[in-house]
Amino acid sequence: MKTEETQARPPLTDSAPPPPSTDSAPPLPAAAVLALLAAATLAACGGGGGAATAAPPSPAPAPPPAPSVTAPDAARFLAQASFGATDSSIDEVLARGYSGWIDDQFARPQTMHRTYVEQAIAAGDPAAAERTYRDHVMDTFWKQAITGADQLRQRMAFALSQIFVVSQANADVSNRPRGLASYLDMLGAHAFGNFRSLLESVSLHPIMGLYLSALRNQKEDAATGRVPDENYAREVMQLFAIGLYQLNPDATPKLDGGGTTIPTYGNADVQGLAKVFTGWSWAGPDKTGTRFFGGTPDPDRDVTPMQAYPQYHSTSAKAFLGTTIPAGTAAEPSLKIALDALFNHPNTAPFFSRQLIQRFVTSNPSPAYVGRVAAAFADNGQGVRGDMKAVIRAMLLDAEARSKASPEQPGWGKLREPVVRLASWARAFAAASASGNYMIRNVADPSTALGQNPLRSASVFNFYRPGYVPPNTAMATAGLVAPEFQITGETSVAGYLNFMRNVVNTGVGTGTDVRSAYAMEVALAGNADQLVDRVKLLLTAGRMSDATRTAIRDAVATVAATGDAALLNRAKLAVYLTLASPEFIVQR
Amino acid sequence: MDRKSHPLDGGRRQFLHTASALSILGGATPLALNLAGIGAAAAQSAAEDYRALVCVFLFGGNDQTNTVIPFDAAEFNAYTAARPSIARAAAELTSLGAATAQGGRSFALPNELAPLASLYGAGKLAVVANVGPLIVPTTKAQYQNASVPLPSKLFSHNDQQSVWQSSGAEGATSGWGGRLADLIVAGNANQTFTAISVTGAAVFLSGRSVLQYQVGTGGSVSISGLTGSLFGSATAAQVLRQLVTAQRPTLFEDEYNRITARSIDANATLSSALAAAPAITTPFPSGNSLADQLKMVARTIAARRTLGARRQVFFVSLGGFDTHDFQLRDQPTLHATLAAALSAFYQATAELGVASQVTTFTASDFGRTLTSNGDGSDHGWGSHHFVIGGAVRGGNVYGKFPAISLGTPEDIGSGRLLPSTSVDQYAATLGKWFGVSATDLSTVVPNIANFSTTDLGFLG
Repeated sequence: MKTEETQARPPLTDSAPPPPSTDSAPPLPAAAVLALLAAATLAACGGGGGAATAAPPSPAPAPPPAPSVTAPDAARFLAQASFGATDSSIDEVLARGYSGWIDDQFARPQTMHRTYVEQAIAAGDPAAAERTYRDHVMDTFWKQAITGADQLRQRMAFALSQIFVVSQANADVSNRPRGLASYLDMLGAHAFGNFRSLLESVSLHPIMGLYLSALRNQKEDAATGRVPDENYAREVMQLFAIGLYQLNPDATPKLDGGGTTIPTYGNADVQGLAKVFTGWSWAGPDKTGTRFFGGTPDPDRDVTPMQAYPQYHSTSAKAFLGTTIPAGTAAEPSLKIALDALFNHPNTAPFFSRQLIQRFVTSNPSPAYVGRVAAAFADNGQGVRGDMKAVIRAMLLDAEARSKASPEQPGWGKLREPVVRLASWARAFAAASASGNYMIRNVADPSTALGQNPLRSASVFNFYRPGYVPPNTAMATAGLVAPEFQITGETSVAGYLNFMRNVVNTGVGTGTDVRSAYAMEVALAGNADQLVDRVKLLLTAGRMSDATRTAIRDAVATVAATGDAALLNRAKLAVYLTLASPEFIVQR
Repeated sequence: MDRKSHPLDGGRRQFLHTASALSILGGATPLALNLAGIGAAAAQSAAEDYRALVCVFLFGGNDQTNTVIPFDAAEFNAYTAARPSIARAAAELTSLGAATAQGGRSFALPNELAPLASLYGAGKLAVVANVGPLIVPTTKAQYQNASVPLPSKLFSHNDQQSVWQSSGAEGATSGWGGRLADLIVAGNANQTFTAISVTGAAVFLSGRSVLQYQVGTGGSVSISGLTGSLFGSATAAQVLRQLVTAQRPTLFEDEYNRITARSIDANATLSSALAAAPAITTPFPSGNSLADQLKMVARTIAARRTLGARRQVFFVSLGGFDTHDFQLRDQPTLHATLAAALSAFYQATAELGVASQVTTFTASDFGRTLTSNGDGSDHGWGSHHFVIGGAVRGGNVYGKFPAISLGTPEDIGSGRLLPSTSVDQYAATLGKWFGVSATDLSTVVPNIANFSTTDLGFLG
């Protein structure tokens, strides 16, 4: 039975996205497109059978030399690697090339969110509780996302915050703005470090300890029947390190003889690993039970890694994932053994690499692409495992990420995250904060805002799942996943269009704090073609169909270019229609 | 405007056509055909022939042991002894009295659930004990030896949420609410308003062909830029409409625009239907996200005649039940929120005269361990659930309520409950009431044929 929409949806165009051909290509017959889709599907699922079949990853061809990079190329790269292209960042990429830009970003200093929050607290009412500064974590997030010179670190920290999730939806987290800011700083600090250190810092951060209840988790007690809390042990395996089923080096699932996936762990592994995460609690100058349970709080306990309390740590044998920590082992060495085991697990490189690609580049990377990035995780070329810089370089410089052919595949790319859409607007059009504080504090409501707020997902499972398949869609038929579609529905698409109309018109945040004057756009607005081409470059990296461009240009031209107000309207209209266009919504 | 259809569209239509053909081959009969026998009364007033199922999903895994508590002295003492650090005191409980279906054993609910105890006493609420995903009836020995097929990825939140809703782990693309909707959608004048979520995407509501419709707690959202002047242009609104609804040559872009086109159509219908529907005077608690969602469900039900809806499935949710710690702080608050919302919603359906035509039921990721980890419990399996409505044979506890102790036939470790009743049986009982024939049940819940009892008896 047909449940399709009743309204006809005529195509705006039948022409492919750029590079535009002079004569519009005839539409492919349905069979040809389905064959293309099938090929893409096969590619997406290929190599899935058997443990030993995965070929070594093919070496990624060298990236094109800098001189061949055009402004649209640079803008496309920056859509992946930053919170959106700007005039100056395009110039930076053109000057340095992709690789040189990445190296430059690696060298940029980190600006600390915690400092921002602490300065706000110091400047505020001494009687105000720290929790009342929770919105300042959002302010500093947006400030750095929009204005930070270390864009790659910012984007990476945001991606990591969607893998190693903590959330202000949890009151224990939201009531500790210094702690949450320091957690975000920690992700940013390790963004260019090593995965092993990242995993340890995540595991010992008190905000994560609170969020997944590893903090003040006690050893088993036969007398009362108490057992260790299993929460962190389960999620560090399922979500942060190895995932639920065994993977080939290209992240395709290993299959048993019956063609089914093979679990990575069972409940006994969870129970064994849970013992490792006993005896950890608040940092402080002593290790008393009072401190363990939260008494005599140290003023910096929210921002200091948890410490081990021997009296609460399980010293029975801890068996998990084929590793057994002998009875009598203390908390710190137990943690080292456990994290080493997770870090060195064969799943970790492909599990992490694929998710990272999904955050930056495309929802359905080819297995070969994942395999190349995972290989860089496994060995950076100098025998070092877990080098995040090597992973980032492999991800962004891979031929699949940079190729102009990739985005021509019908299922390639990703839905641009709503948070990134807003940041891209702000960056492209030099939006500035009237207060200086970038007070964009709640954009979570899908009916009235973005349907996605940084650091505020509903659970540790993030805003969406990496394997989400939108039901009853051509994407599902083609075997594709589309994580961001999990927060996309009839409500959110309308909410986005209304929200962005206001953003473009008056600004965003408390008192429309963050606004653009569209100075560059107004200067061009007398010429509708030049105006639209500028917006097209910044927001869609030049990847706008001729029909969309023409439609927007013609709409702009209906506003008579007479006077400043009209020129400003022209600029806003070009920006708004581009923000609404599918070529912006989907990053390709 | 070039009106050439683009190539993918043919593919999509072909797929939908094939999907519905398959479902018919699979034995599914549209309920419209089954309803033919209902007769002239139904034909006269489609609104009288109305039924709705409302799934209330408790995200995180509600701790069942502190939700429905055996209240006879010996059993209560065993409960207290099994989890001393997180047990509720007798004074904190509201008795339900003896349940005839459990051999006269007595039960209680925490005081925060007192509104539900009232509904139980009024015969409008039933408890279904120890429900969870199963593929076949399973004994403890069979579980331990893995000698029968078991649901995949037990104890994992996201997967068990999916298994509860769909029978499959994460990545499943249809749920049993949506598969129920597949069977009855032809009987609704406007198919969009058949499977409705007020809490975002839920696999529960996706059918093999039916698409779920997402609505906000304030109703559908109108896109302001589609009418009137847009930044000084009188014609830009039409350009915007084209941009956001046009068919697109690539998959992600086309699907996004397809959702927007559906959003625009649905809003045109729903916003006027809601405006014309009778106002609901039943007070809903404020500051209660579940009540906000359920009020929207009630408003949609109030608009059922205008929408031409005869069968609807709704999905709402409340999160925060993953009480690994602070259970005694957090779960009572959640229970109070749940009970206030469910009670208000039941009263609203009574006000609308559809109390016996709307059945509300709870679901959750899983139950939790009996054993305490100090101040909380960990991921389990079977759990107890509530079914509410005028059609419910309430005031009783269905299924097999386990003994609250370690080492029981249902305890697979730390008091995690091996379910004695499957989600498929729970769903089948609801589905039968909804109007699904016995032969169609297997298209809704694929494992139902493995269970001898397909009607648990809690609906009349």
